[in-house]
Amino acid sequence: MTIAQDALQLPHLNYGALAPMLILFGAAAVGVLIEAFVPRRSRYALQLVLGLGALVAALIVVITESGTRELTAGAAIALDGPALFLQGSLAALGIVALLLIAERTLEPGGPFVAAAAVTAGTEEDRTQAAREDAGTEVYPLLLFALGGMMLFVSANDLLTMFVALEVFSLPLYLMCGLARRRRLLSQESAMKYFLLGSFASAFFLFGIAMLYGFSGQISFAGIHSAIQTSTQSTTLLYIGLALVALGLLFKAAAAPFHVWIPDVYQGAPTPITAFMSACTKVAAFGALIRVLYVAFQGTDWDFRPVIGAIAVLTMLVGSILSVTQTDIKRLLAYSSIANAGYILVGVLGLSKDGLSSTLFYLVTYGFTVIAAFGVVTLVRDADGEATHLSRWAGLGRRSPLYAGLFTFLMLAFAGIPLTSGFTGKFAVFAAAIGGGQSWLVVFGVVSSMILAFPYLRVVVMMWLSEPGESTPTVSIPGALTSATLAIGGLATLVLGVVPAPLLDLTNHAAQFIR
Amino acid sequence: MNLGQWVPIVGLVVLGALFALFSVAIAPVVGPNRPNRAKLSAYECGIEPTPEPVGSGRRFPVKFYLTAMLFIVFDIEIIFLYPWAVSFNALGTFGFVEMLLFIATAFVAYAYVWRRGGLDWD
Amino acid sequence: MASGPALADFGHDAWWLIVLKIIVIFAFLNVMTIFTIVFERKVVARMQQRTGLNQVGPRGWLQSLMDGLKLILKESVMPTEVRRVVYVIAPAISAICAFVAFSVIPFGPEVSIAGHRTPLQLTDLPVAVLLVFACSAIGVYGVVLGGWASGSPYPLYGAVRSAAQLISYEVAMGLPLVAVLINSGSLSTSQIVAGQTRVWYGIILAPSLVSYFIAGVGETNRAPFDLPEAESELVGGFHTEYSSVMFMLFYLAEYINMITVSALCTTLFLGGWRAPWPLSMVDHGVLNRGWWPLLWLVAKILILLFVFVWVRATLPRLRYDQFMRLGWKVLVPGNLLWIVVVAALRTAGLGGLPARIGIGVGVAVLALLIVSLWPGGARPASGPADSPAPAPGSAPGGYPLPPMDLVVPPSPRTRRLVTDRSTAPAAGGSPGAEAGAAAGGSPGAEAGLDPVQQPVQTLLEAPLVGPAEDRPQGPQ
Repeated sequence: MTIAQDALQLPHLNYGALAPMLILFGAAAVGVLIEAFVPRRSRYALQLVLGLGALVAALIVVITESGTRELTAGAAIALDGPALFLQGSLAALGIVALLLIAERTLEPGGPFVAAAAVTAGTEEDRTQAAREDAGTEVYPLLLFALGGMMLFVSANDLLTMFVALEVFSLPLYLMCGLARRRRLLSQESAMKYFLLGSFASAFFLFGIAMLYGFSGQISFAGIHSAIQTSTQSTTLLYIGLALVALGLLFKAAAAPFHVWIPDVYQGAPTPITAFMSACTKVAAFGALIRVLYVAFQGTDWDFRPVIGAIAVLTMLVGSILSVTQTDIKRLLAYSSIANAGYILVGVLGLSKDGLSSTLFYLVTYGFTVIAAFGVVTLVRDADGEATHLSRWAGLGRRSPLYAGLFTFLMLAFAGIPLTSGFTGKFAVFAAAIGGGQSWLVVFGVVSSMILAFPYLRVVVMMWLSEPGESTPTVSIPGALTSATLAIGGLATLVLGVVPAPLLDLTNHAAQFIR
Repeated sequence: MNLGQWVPIVGLVVLGALFALFSVAIAPVVGPNRPNRAKLSAYECGIEPTPEPVGSGRRFPVKFYLTAMLFIVFDIEIIFLYPWAVSFNALGTFGFVEMLLFIATAFVAYAYVWRRGGLDWD
Repeated sequence: MASGPALADFGHDAWWLIVLKIIVIFAFLNVMTIFTIVFERKVVARMQQRTGLNQVGPRGWLQSLMDGLKLILKESVMPTEVRRVVYVIAPAISAICAFVAFSVIPFGPEVSIAGHRTPLQLTDLPVAVLLVFACSAIGVYGVVLGGWASGSPYPLYGAVRSAAQLISYEVAMGLPLVAVLINSGSLSTSQIVAGQTRVWYGIILAPSLVSYFIAGVGETNRAPFDLPEAESELVGGFHTEYSSVMFMLFYLAEYINMITVSALCTTLFLGGWRAPWPLSMVDHGVLNRGWWPLLWLVAKILILLFVFVWVRATLPRLRYDQFMRLGWKVLVPGNLLWIVVVAALRTAGLGGLPARIGIGVGVAVLALLIVSLWPGGARPASGPADSPAPAPGSAPGGYPLPPMDLVVPPSPRTRRLVTDRSTAPAAGGSPGAEAGAAAGGSPGAEAGLDPVQQPVQTLLEAPLVGPAEDRPQGPQ
C-alpha cells in the first residue's frame, strides 16, 4: 500500500464561524442551478431574493459570531476581529451594491447583457441589446465574488489567500464585460482587467514560492516566526514580500499598479464599478493589513519606507490626474486611487489605531462611493448614461434632489467636516502621526487639497451653469436604486456626525490573532 | 521515492526516441527522392491549395475552446478524485461526505453548462 | 496462491535485466502491431464475408510486415508548406509516448531469469496508472503538432478535432479508474492486479469496465469514433501530409495505443495476468505462477483487440455531435454517479453489494448503450428509405432529397465508352449506374472495404502528378 492507512488527522471546522462564507458559496451554487433550470422570466426575482437573503443571512451570522476569535480549518482560516469586521462590512456593502445591480427600471431589462462573449457591434449583439430579459448570471457571480472576498480577508495562509484571490477575481473579470451599452468598451475593460489581474496573480504566486523558500512555511504565523528566528539570507524574504505586496496592491489600486483602474471603472457596467470600488478595496486592504501585520510584523522597518513611498505616489497620482478628467466615471476612478493612498497611510500606522482607522475608512468610503456611482447611473440620455462632465452642467436646476445628494457625496470625498469622509481621513492621519509617519500625513493633506478641486468643479458645474440642450435628464430611480442612494447617503451623513459607535467597533475588533 | 523504479522508463524513452530518430533518418537514404511541385503542395483532393485557416487570420469555432475549458474543469476534478479514492478506506464517512459535496459542486457547473448548450455540438 | 510482487520489489533489477526487458517490450509491441493489423483485416474480412489477406506469406500473415517494409522504402515527401522541425518531431512524440505507456503493464508474477528473481514487468510506480494516462495525454501533442505543422487545412481540422476528441474521452477514461482505486487503494498496477486475486474488478465494477472500454475506443481514434481521420470528410485527418516512415510512426502509435488500452483494461478490470476462474483453481494456482501468466495476459489482450475489431466492423461511424454527446452527456455523468454509488455502498459497509449492483448496472448500461447506439434507433421515424416518394425538393424533416427518378446525364467519357461498345443502353437501365461503374474504375475503389490501407493509398497513389511542364528536374 502506498498510502499510510493509519487514521488521517481531520482538521477541525468551526462551521458556525465559517457559515457566512458557506452561505454565500452555497447560495451562489443554487443561483447557478436557478440559471440552469428555472424559466428565464422568473429568474430575476428568484435570484434577487436568493442573493439578498444570502447576504442578509451572512451578515446576521457574522454579527452573532462577532465574539469568535479562533483559527479554524487547520489554521487555514483566521476568524478574528478584523476578519469578522471586514466580512460584516463586505456583506453590508454587498447588499447595497446588489440593490444597485438589481435595478431594472432605468433601462428595460437592466444594465447587463445575456451573453457577454457576443462580438460587439454584430447583428446578434444589437438583438441582445434590444432584448428585455437580460442575463441574470451576475447574481451568482456577485455571490461568488463576495464569498471569495470574505475568504480573502480571513485567510491565514498564503495558499488559501491565493485561492480566495482567484475565487473573487474571476467573477469580477466576467462582470466587467457584461455592460449592455458600449459593449466594446466593456469587453475591453474585462480583457484588460483579466490580463493585468492574471499578471498580478502570477506575481503573488511567485512571491508565495519565494516566501516558502525563505521560511519553509506558507502560514502567516510560520513566516512570522521564521522572520524572528531564521538565520538564512533575507533575499528571498524581501523578494517574496515585494511580490506578494505587489499582487495585493494591484487589487487595492495603488500606484504604480493602478493603470487598470480608470479603463476598467469606465468600461464596466456602473453598478459593477460601484461594487468593485467598494468591496474589492475592502477585500484587498483587508488582506494587505493581515499580511503586513501578521506575517511581516518583524520587518516593518524594511517595508515601511517602500510602502510609504507607494502611498505618497498613489495619493499624488490619484489626485493630480483626477484634475484632468472629463468623464465622471474616470474622475471617480482616480479619486478611488487617491483614496487607496489614504488607506495605505492608515495601514502604515502599524498599530492598533492604524488598523482600526483603516477598517473605519474602508467602510465609510465604501458606502459613499456606492452612492456616488448610484447617482451616476441616474444621469441618462437616449444613449444610456451620460458620463461626460460637460453634460452634467446645470444638473442642479433640472434635479435639485439628486444633484444635492451628489454634491454631498463629493463633499464627503473632499473630506469636509460632518461627512464620513472627514472622520475617515482624520482617523487615518491621526493613526499615521501616532505611528510616527508625519511625512505621509503632509502628503495626504496636500493631495486632499488638490483632490478637492475636481470635486468642487463638478459641484460648481452642476449648480452654477445653465442647463443646455445636451443636459441629460435624471431618471426617476426605482425602489432599489433609491434604497441604495438612501443607505449610502445616510451612512455618509451618520458616520460623519456620530462616528463614535463604528469607531468603537473597529477599536474593539482591531486585534489580529496568529 | 525509489528512483530505481523510474530508470527503466527513461530507458524506454531513450529506445523509443532512438527508434524514431533512426527511422526518420534512414527514410531519405533508402527511399527514392523525386519531388515535383504538385507533390510538394498541400493535399486538398486535387484542387488548388487554399491558404491555411489559421495563418489567414480566420478563427476556429469557439466550441473547441469551450471543450478545452470543460476538459480542464473535469480533469482537475478527476485529479482530486484519485488521491481521495486511493485513501478511501482511511478517510471514512467524513471523506465520503466531503467528496460528495465536491462532486455535487462540480455537477452544478455541469448542469449549467449542459442547460446552456455548452455540451451540444452543432 | 501467488499474490505477485510488492511495489518495493521494483527498481532493483540489474542493468542487463532492465535492458533485456526494455528490448522485449519494444519487440513485443512491434510484433503485436504487425500481428494486430493482419488480425484486424482478416477478422473484418471474415465478418464481411470476404477472403481477406491471402497473398503475402502463409495465408497472408506477412502482409503487414511487408507493408511496413514498403513504407520505409517509399519516398518521404515533405511538402513545402510544413514547419519542418515540428513536422518531424510530432510523429516521434506519438511513438515515444505509445512505447512508454506500456512500461508499467504487469506481464506476470516473479520469475527467475538466469538466476535472478524478478517480476515480469518492466517497472512499477506508486503512480503507475497515472503514467499511462500522462503518456496518452502527451500523445495528443503528437497529433495536434503534426496536424498544425502540416500547413494544410485537412490535417489542421483533423488535428483540432482529434484534440477535442482525445481530451473529451480522457475524462471519460479517467473516471472509471476512480471506482477501481476505491477498491484497490493503490495506483500501482502490480497492486491493482494483486487486489483482483479473489474477484476481478471488471465483474464487481462492470459499468466502469464498459465505460472504460468505450472511452478507450474513443481515445485511440478507432471506429466508430475515428472522426479525426474520417476519410469521407477529412481525407486522412492529421496525417494527411505524412508519408513513408513518419506516417508509419503515427500508424504504429495508433496500434500500440490500442494494445495499451487493451492491456490496461486487462490489468484494471480483467485480473491482469491472473488465470481465469476455473483455470486458477488447477493445482492450487500453478497456472498463476512462473511463465504461465504471460499466456493469460496475451490471451486477454487478444480478446479485447478482437472486440475493438468487432466494434469497428459492426458500428457505423458516429457524427461528431453524437460522439461528443456520448462522451459528455452519457459517460461523464454516468461515471460520476456510479462512483458515488460505489463509494456510498462501501462507506455503508456493504462491501459485497457493489458486486451484485455492479453486474446489474453493467448489464443495464450495456443494454442502454446498445439501444442508444443502434443505427436508426433514435432517428426520426421518417427515413428516406421507407418514406413515400416525396415531392422533389421537399422532404420530411426539411432535408432536400433528389427526386427518385432523377436521370443523371451521362458524362462525355461514358458516352464515348458507350459508343465504343456500340450497344445502346437498355430502356429500363439507368445511365447513372453505368457512369458510376465507369468512374469507379480507379484502384482505390476496391480497397473501400479495407480502410486500413486507404490512407496509405491516398498518400502514395493519389494522382498528384501535375502537368509535364511543371515537373522540375530536381528540388529547387
